[in-house]
Amino acid sequence: MTITIRDEELILAKERAIFLPNEQLLAISDLHLGKAAHFRKAGLQVPSTLAQSDLNRLSNLLSQYQPETLLINGDMFHHDLNTDIDEFERWKEQYSNLKFVLVKGNHDKLHEKQYENLGIEIHEPSYCTPNFCFIHDAVKCTEENLYPISGHIHPGVSVYGKAKQSLKFPCFYFGNDYAVIPAFSAFTGLSLIKPRANEQVYAVTPTKVVKV
Amino acid sequence: MSLAKTKGYQQVLDWLKKDDKKPFKFQEEAWSYYAKGYSGLVNAPTGFGKTFSLFLAVVIEGINLSEVKDKKRAKDRLQLIWITPLRSLAKDIARAMREVLAELELDWHVGVRNGDTSQAEKLQQKKSMPEVLLITPESLHLLLAQKGSSTLFESLKCIVADEWHELLGSKRGVLVELAISRIKGLQKANKKQHLRVWGISATIGNIEEALDVIEPDTTAKRTIIKAKLNKKIIIKSILPDDIETLPWAGHLGLKLAYKLLPIIEKSKTTLIFINTRGQSEMWYQYLLNIEPELAGRIAIHHGSIDFELRNWIEDALHTGLLKAVLATSSLDLGVDFKPVDTVVQVGSPKGVARFLQRAGRSSHSPGETSKIYFLPTHALELVEAAAIKEAAKENNIESREPVIMVFDTLIQYLVTLAIGDGFEDKIIYDEVKNTHAFKMLLPEEWSWMMQFITSGGDSLTAYQEFKKVSKDEEDGLWKVKSRQIAMRHRLHIGTIVSDAMLKVKFLSGGYIGMVEEYFVSKLKAGDSFTLAGRILEFVHIKDMTVIVRKSKQKKAMSPSWLGGRLPLSSSLGTVLRKKYNEVLNKTHQEEELDVVYPLFLVQQERSHVPRNDELLIEMINNKEGFHLFAYPFEGRLVHEILAALVAYRLSKLVPITFSLAMNDYGFELLSDIEIPMDDAIAYEVFSPENLTEDISLSINSTEMARRKFRDIACISGLVFQGYPGKYVANKHLQSSAGLFFNVFSDFDKNNLLLRQAYDEVFYQQLEEPRLAAALHRIQQSTIVITHPKRFTPLSFPIKVDSLRANMSSEELEHRIEHMKVEVFK
Repeated sequence: MTITIRDEELILAKERAIFLPNEQLLAISDLHLGKAAHFRKAGLQVPSTLAQSDLNRLSNLLSQYQPETLLINGDMFHHDLNTDIDEFERWKEQYSNLKFVLVKGNHDKLHEKQYENLGIEIHEPSYCTPNFCFIHDAVKCTEENLYPISGHIHPGVSVYGKAKQSLKFPCFYFGNDYAVIPAFSAFTGLSLIKPRANEQVYAVTPTKVVKV
Repeated sequence: MSLAKTKGYQQVLDWLKKDDKKPFKFQEEAWSYYAKGYSGLVNAPTGFGKTFSLFLAVVIEGINLSEVKDKKRAKDRLQLIWITPLRSLAKDIARAMREVLAELELDWHVGVRNGDTSQAEKLQQKKSMPEVLLITPESLHLLLAQKGSSTLFESLKCIVADEWHELLGSKRGVLVELAISRIKGLQKANKKQHLRVWGISATIGNIEEALDVIEPDTTAKRTIIKAKLNKKIIIKSILPDDIETLPWAGHLGLKLAYKLLPIIEKSKTTLIFINTRGQSEMWYQYLLNIEPELAGRIAIHHGSIDFELRNWIEDALHTGLLKAVLATSSLDLGVDFKPVDTVVQVGSPKGVARFLQRAGRSSHSPGETSKIYFLPTHALELVEAAAIKEAAKENNIESREPVIMVFDTLIQYLVTLAIGDGFEDKIIYDEVKNTHAFKMLLPEEWSWMMQFITSGGDSLTAYQEFKKVSKDEEDGLWKVKSRQIAMRHRLHIGTIVSDAMLKVKFLSGGYIGMVEEYFVSKLKAGDSFTLAGRILEFVHIKDMTVIVRKSKQKKAMSPSWLGGRLPLSSSLGTVLRKKYNEVLNKTHQEEELDVVYPLFLVQQERSHVPRNDELLIEMINNKEGFHLFAYPFEGRLVHEILAALVAYRLSKLVPITFSLAMNDYGFELLSDIEIPMDDAIAYEVFSPENLTEDISLSINSTEMARRKFRDIACISGLVFQGYPGKYVANKHLQSSAGLFFNVFSDFDKNNLLLRQAYDEVFYQQLEEPRLAAALHRIQQSTIVITHPKRFTPLSFPIKVDSLRANMSSEELEHRIEHMKVEVFK
């Protein structure tokens, strides 16, 4: 689904990503790499194929949009380095021409050196394009002239219908003051948001993005 | 030598004679079978000394052996483990046991071990076990989780599971089965097998099966001892002056509260049973409002009230200080409160066994008549009252189906053993396989479980970093090495899953009880709520404790605690259908049915009153949408499945979305488009053909399995619940059962825990034979379809039920088009 914000075109992908054609930039948020392995280390049986499936989804997006930059809008790594992240390193080798940009989130606590070794460019607190300010937590944005696009809360939306029906989806939120994009990782929960009447919400279903 | 000639027997008899008592026949039978090495089951009503039937059996043997045996090692003392389902029972039973031991001058100690036992006492017990240990199933597993625990049971003679009928139908019963299998195994390894296992059970429909569960070895010496004692019970309904007084739906019944006052007044002490904790709080406030003189003379007792406070109430009950106590199932069992002479049941007890058990709480002494009043909360409950009366008269008492193949509980048990002394998998497999719960366990299921706890569930990619249970290189036993994992596991031993609970404490000190975290999250400073009958003002949360002060307000909201709703039992359902016939025919005897008659006239006028050989379907259209109501009278659980099944079959005819609701009488399908229905369709959607296949498809398309998984994820240790006061905050490891359900569904379809969630819906909830029987019955029946203009007395209570599920055959995107997002207003 293509929408226009501040006269710039944005493509909302059902794989929970935003593509900015003007910048040739693909943005995702809350990747939580290593979360599954972190749980396993603590004795919690999370399937090990989980992390691989997130990366496969990302691969599909990269081949579809062929961006110059991949921006991760915070919470790229869940905790420490672990085998999931070794796997990420191997996966990343095939994208030597792609610029990896990380806007730091509350989970991103690795050392500078470690990001450097992984070939990831760090931005703190935000990464700005002519119209937008990518930042992990929107309330911390200080760029007054730019529209903040954030992550962090893993937004979800409930929709209600006649006959007591209701459904719940991950969503993109474009509010009056800022936007929130859904968490990319499949191993994340949802935090339900309630938009104001004039704000826009796009639900992510398994087959497409739908305005609600 | 016959038992009667032994020293122990004589001593017990002499002691009884001193009080002009003599043993009941069933007690003597139990003593004699026990002495001959039997295991078994004692079936006796409360108030007839069922405790003594087994406790004294062990004591008699103890006295007889005391001369023979020389000084025991301190650790070797444990003779009897007495498992009680409720903590509150342990204290009173221990008191009674100590009195007997003192009279008999037998130098035995009685210890209590459960969540209320102090750390110091637990340590003392570990150094030197008492001869008699009263324990809950959970604490018994905690004992197994301790290092060195395998040496504690060497001289143990007997394990008694008290109130076995209560434990039987739950995963807690499986905890008992597993613990027994381990202790037997330990004695076998030591070549000193003297353990006998006994259960004490109230009357249930499947008493033989109850024996099979507690002693599954059919070659062992086993017996069932029945006390042939009849307890007289009088059941009386509190009737409204006219039926208009009672609402068509509801659960509180406050409108009839004034009729309770004279009953409370003329009784010594009244126990008032209310189905949920939240409702009991509301009743307490209401009674005080209509009769301020009761202040200080009534109290409230439920599982979320602080231990000290509960203790005080129980003591006050013993001494007759209180005029009335409002209680939930927390006072259902065992303990004997002498001054209680009247029992009131508010709202349907949903089963005959539970109702009789509660009735038995009054006039506890043998030979006395128990009296129980039934106070209906809505009109149709009067019919239930009539049905219960009849079922009780005919002793038509439900079965408790034992729980089987619960992998979550088994996984928890294996980790419990691994943090204790460790285990050898071959031995434990044999022990587990010999329990009733896991006799159908397959070797491949066992290896899946071993893999789940040792390598994290994957057979293909053995992840280096997965750490839970690993093999000790020295002794070859499976153990947990990480202290952190061990500590977390200990906090979560047990199978009772509730929302995270927070303790409630006064600003000035003093604990009041517990509320769910979810409830607290909605409170703002200054808000008031009721707990333990007090009105409290929320101040703040500190160190996982809710700090409150006394509120000056007169009224406040009651917290809701998530408890399961009790479903109507099948025996009651059958009688209920019959009673519906009798009302209109006027062939009944019960006064309740006279009162409810006008309501049936309304039902008949607006729609139809279904007879025994009819199935009524009501189609009602209004601005909410298109409703289909059907009334099979099979109980909530069966209706939940039946609703899903019928919705699924209808949705194959047209693309349609349903919202589903149900109660014990029937179910509702609600849709935004017209529901196709005529005689032919009706017989088709209620057909028993293709049943198994259609059910699994309909279960898959609703949320039932996902809901079951909530408990499974907690019990198997995937998700942590907070633990009152001991909450371990670890943000990096937080997740939810729902998330695991999705992840397993997408990435690990063969996960046994996932399968268990579906199986629990399928086998435990569904009772497939019961459903098949219902559908066959419906096929033989006349289906009556009516189109009422308004809601009917039967449909209204279902319509207002808020628990709903969904079923759809429409495309998701298509559905969203009709829907609106919830917005801030």
